[in-house]
Amino acid sequence: MKNRLRVLRAEREWSQADLAVRLEVSRQSVNAIETGKFDPSLPLAFKLARLFGLAIEDIFTDEQ
Amino acid sequence: MVCSTNNPAQRRYLIRFAVCMTIYIVLLLVSVLALKHFQPTGVPAYALAVLPALPIIASLIVMGIYLAEEKDEFMRNLQVQALLGGTGVTLSVVSVWGFLEKFVHAQHFDLFMVYPLFWVATGLTAAVLWMRVRS
Repeated sequence: MKNRLRVLRAEREWSQADLAVRLEVSRQSVNAIETGKFDPSLPLAFKLARLFGLAIEDIFTDEQ
Repeated sequence: MVCSTNNPAQRRYLIRFAVCMTIYIVLLLVSVLALKHFQPTGVPAYALAVLPALPIIASLIVMGIYLAEEKDEFMRNLQVQALLGGTGVTLSVVSVWGFLEKFVHAQHFDLFMVYPLFWVATGLTAAVLWMRVRS
């Protein structure tokens, strides 16, 4: 699944480690989500959305 | 196991696993020495023979506890995939080896070696998965 995490993170000048701390996950998890290698669960996607103050579909794009 | 720093679930798992392996070494020595020295028969002999397997069973339960405690879903997913890969490789190897033993008299493979084989296979699967994620 494509996402805008890298851009959203850059806008806030957060490193992957910074975002990982805020999400309470590992930096590797943030990297895997950001590069589209791992799709987060719905609870984690909601957590991301809350963190950025956006809706889930504003962060993740359904490729179909 | 794929490890990251500052992960409390992984830290707890490594400590518990190390405890299991320490107990395993102690019980293995106790079993080998007691069976050799006292040469018991019947129930005591069975009990001593089974003794080293108990911490091995405990270590598998410890892995189950880790999976239940791991809050990082990506790491948990990676570990589950590694365990599935390790299980698949182990079952494949022992199946092939079983037929080789049966039909062409290949050297006997002791069943207690299945456990280390499983962890080696799981570790290799974890390494491959980790490289795929990082590339």
